[in-house]
Amino acid sequence: MSVDTVTEGETETALLTVDDVKVHFPIRRGIVVERTVGHVRAVDGVSLSIDAGKTYGLVGESGCGKTTLGRAVLRLEEPTAGTVTLGDTEVTGLRPERLRRFRSKMQMVFQDPLGSLNPRHNVEMLLAEPLKVHGVGSKTERRDLARETLEAVGLPVSVLERYPHEFSGGQRQRLGIARALMLRPDLIVCDEPVSALDVSIQAQVMNLLDELQDEFGLTYLVIAHDLAVVRHLSDRVGVMYLGKLVEEADSETIYEHPRHPYTKALLSAVPQPDPEVEASRERIILTGDLPSPANPPSGCRFRTRCPWAQDVCAEKEPEWREAASGHKVACHFDL
Amino acid sequence: MTLAKIERLDRLVEASATAREAESGSLWRQSLRRMRRSPMALVGASIVGLFLVVAVFGPWIAPYSPTAQSWGDEVFLNQNIFPGPRAENWFGLDHLGRDMFSRMIVGARQTMLVGVVATLIGFAAGALVGGVAAAAGSFGGRWGERIEAVIMRTVDIALAIPMLLLALSVAALLGPSLSTVMIAVGVAQIPIFARLLRGSMLAQAHSDYVLAAISLGVPKSRIVLTHIFPNSLGPVIVQATLVLATAIIEAAALSYLGLGNPDPGTPEWGTMLADAQRFLSGAPQLAIYPAVGIIITALGFTLLGEAMRESLDPRLRRQQ
Amino acid sequence: MALLEVEDLRVAFGGTTAVDGVDFQVDQGQVVGLVGESGCGKSVTSLAIMGLLPRRGATVSGRARFDGVDLLTLPRSDMRRRRGSDLAMVFQDPLSSLNPVVKIGTQITEVLERHRGLRGEAATKEAEHLLDRVGIPDPRRRLGEYPHQLSGGMRQRVLIAIAVACAPRLLIADEPTTALDVTIQAQILELLKDLVDAEGTALLMITHDLGVVAGLCDEVNVLYSGRVVESATAPDLFALPTHPYTVGLLNSIPRLDLPIHEPLKPIRGSIADVIRWQDGCAFAPRCDRVTEKCVEGEPPLIGASHFHRCVMAEEVA
Repeated sequence: MSVDTVTEGETETALLTVDDVKVHFPIRRGIVVERTVGHVRAVDGVSLSIDAGKTYGLVGESGCGKTTLGRAVLRLEEPTAGTVTLGDTEVTGLRPERLRRFRSKMQMVFQDPLGSLNPRHNVEMLLAEPLKVHGVGSKTERRDLARETLEAVGLPVSVLERYPHEFSGGQRQRLGIARALMLRPDLIVCDEPVSALDVSIQAQVMNLLDELQDEFGLTYLVIAHDLAVVRHLSDRVGVMYLGKLVEEADSETIYEHPRHPYTKALLSAVPQPDPEVEASRERIILTGDLPSPANPPSGCRFRTRCPWAQDVCAEKEPEWREAASGHKVACHFDL
Repeated sequence: MTLAKIERLDRLVEASATAREAESGSLWRQSLRRMRRSPMALVGASIVGLFLVVAVFGPWIAPYSPTAQSWGDEVFLNQNIFPGPRAENWFGLDHLGRDMFSRMIVGARQTMLVGVVATLIGFAAGALVGGVAAAAGSFGGRWGERIEAVIMRTVDIALAIPMLLLALSVAALLGPSLSTVMIAVGVAQIPIFARLLRGSMLAQAHSDYVLAAISLGVPKSRIVLTHIFPNSLGPVIVQATLVLATAIIEAAALSYLGLGNPDPGTPEWGTMLADAQRFLSGAPQLAIYPAVGIIITALGFTLLGEAMRESLDPRLRRQQ
Repeated sequence: MALLEVEDLRVAFGGTTAVDGVDFQVDQGQVVGLVGESGCGKSVTSLAIMGLLPRRGATVSGRARFDGVDLLTLPRSDMRRRRGSDLAMVFQDPLSSLNPVVKIGTQITEVLERHRGLRGEAATKEAEHLLDRVGIPDPRRRLGEYPHQLSGGMRQRVLIAIAVACAPRLLIADEPTTALDVTIQAQILELLKDLVDAEGTALLMITHDLGVVAGLCDEVNVLYSGRVVESATAPDLFALPTHPYTVGLLNSIPRLDLPIHEPLKPIRGSIADVIRWQDGCAFAPRCDRVTEKCVEGEPPLIGASHFHRCVMAEEVA
């Protein structure tokens, strides 16, 4: 479904354009002869674009395909269909060696800060490696750049000789961010950048991401399940459900005037740290669980859990339409 | 805030930090620290240490020459008279009237050589086979997957052959000699090491830090060599220690079956055990000395291996 | 007398202190929250109350009186009898808390048989009723299924069904929704609220999420470094947070109901920056209001109904 056409004004400043990307994983059966018995449609036709220097927040629950989409953007997962364009380069068309070189322009920050750092490499090795493999600078220049970047993420330069397990969770995430920054990329995909951290540390890392965006002119794609985190970090927000975007708008708009029933339910489910708000709030409690992405419901994918579902929802897939200026939604109704 | 206040606070923070255990240094260094606290490691390391000292300095420690038949006139084979332990010969005499104690001490070196060389052969060749399979399977695309499948099915077939049978066939091909025993035992260990390293590497290949390395644009060969391989070695090194124990036993078995070193000039525990079988009913002590030597050494390596496994495996770390 | 009275509870593993003198109470039919970040000792506290700490390695002292009986000195066999019938617990990870090779039905009837003496059809009927009670559709069919056939939310419902099978007077829930998605979390919280209201069960809710606390709890205890630093009714705590740690936590959370893109005010440092309680306030190294008074020995618990452990609070407020 590529009804979505980017308007002229947007293409001029858009740094990243994702056009109708699909990632389908074959389900294979059989021991001797493998045959494909179906596909898990982890991402099933997503289009979006991010302006340079802005943050796009992708939010959804586990199994909605947000992580797979993030990886497909960086081609850590091969898209089954669709194109990803960063700047003037079509990432999806790059051959392996060119792609490897091009990776210096796009980086990733991982959810698990410890698991994403090689336990046998000390900080200097961790930070110097990206420079080394892209042939940047001499040994001393690389060390200077590592020092500079450590300072930028708020770590003392004295940690160069230390190993990942010697740090606290928040410091490790700072290291992960520093490593992603070493090549001074244009785009950073942050996959659940704070969800593994304690509340008091989450705020430190979110503020750091904000500061670094200004300092280095970064463009972020933030992937998270926590709506408050996404709202805080993002300029534009897309809500994903079962492999597709169901709503997209500026972050202020989407939280104040959600149009899709799923967005409404998500927002109403987040507990707020205020007993008065909690007591007076109207909750939309969704029934049931997420359907299997190997066999999504006909018509609208959300209809099996939607409190407002009608007959038409089972028959026709809702169009991805612009309900208001800059506010896109995939629902038959105006709620 | 005055400077004095900050100082007191800093001192208190420091005091509490040193009260907790300082876990610093690389992972290897940490494992070593943990091992030093384990009684199992201490016992294992003492046995292995003693064995190594004897193996290296044996010829200088031994009171007599291991080959001199100095007391040949005191042994009467047909009457089953073998002088036992006594002041000049602590372990008694063997069937040719040689000092058993000296033979045990000098024999340790050959036994160690067999064990270490056989394990090294198995380790190196197995790591190569398993490493190539894992690297091809993870990063070689469709063709790589096929290469991996062929290698690993061959390994599976080799694993299905009983180890002693495999070693025997190799030994039969090469003819009896010390290097035959080493190669035969080593070859028999290849499939085990190959499987283990491949499994360990595949697990690492799916970790986040490998994904991170790919996303940084690190070339595949470098990812395999500097990220996946070093992190996969832990379980394989543990296995090597355990294999050393079985290699010594297997080498003894091959020698016992007559495929060992036929040269009577250099004593070796397995060959000594083999020689002793002819006098088993009359002089069991001739078999018991080398047998106990082999068992204790194997136990030492096994304990050391187990202790290493515990200290390297974070899931088994005991709460302190 | 409160249903559960915890007094000066201390737990140490070897030389490491996990819980360093915790006091709190849970009344009949009340929902009490234990809030804190990783390493504050909230989970160890609950395990100590349930008698689930390893006998070797853990040193427990203090008192945890349930109905006047100190659970910490109770013989193992008595404790086993009380677990499941008087007190029950729901854990964070529903998959590892269920036996993967035993059918759901059997796991529930087992408990019914042991504590309530129900057998055969009567036990199955009751199990079916329990699953229905926790909102599992088509309970009869689910009884014959294995844990892996259920979704995460369903598994947590099954665990709650097992926990309430014998109508315990105290239910301890340790991060029961942390592993779940928000929409499923909302379902489970609703269910817990419902059970507490209907059965009059007391609930001890252990969580790191202040949002969950605000919606569910009557009383809140905030833990830091193994001690309660603030304790009050939920409305009081959120309206007038007093201890700098509580204030810091509330300021660190991005909120949906506040203006967008306002910079957060995080707490600096990490839990590794700590001093021992006997030397002063453990939070002092991270606190913005720290003065000399903060490091002059153990800070006492101050207050009448709204307690806190900050020597500076009065002066600032």
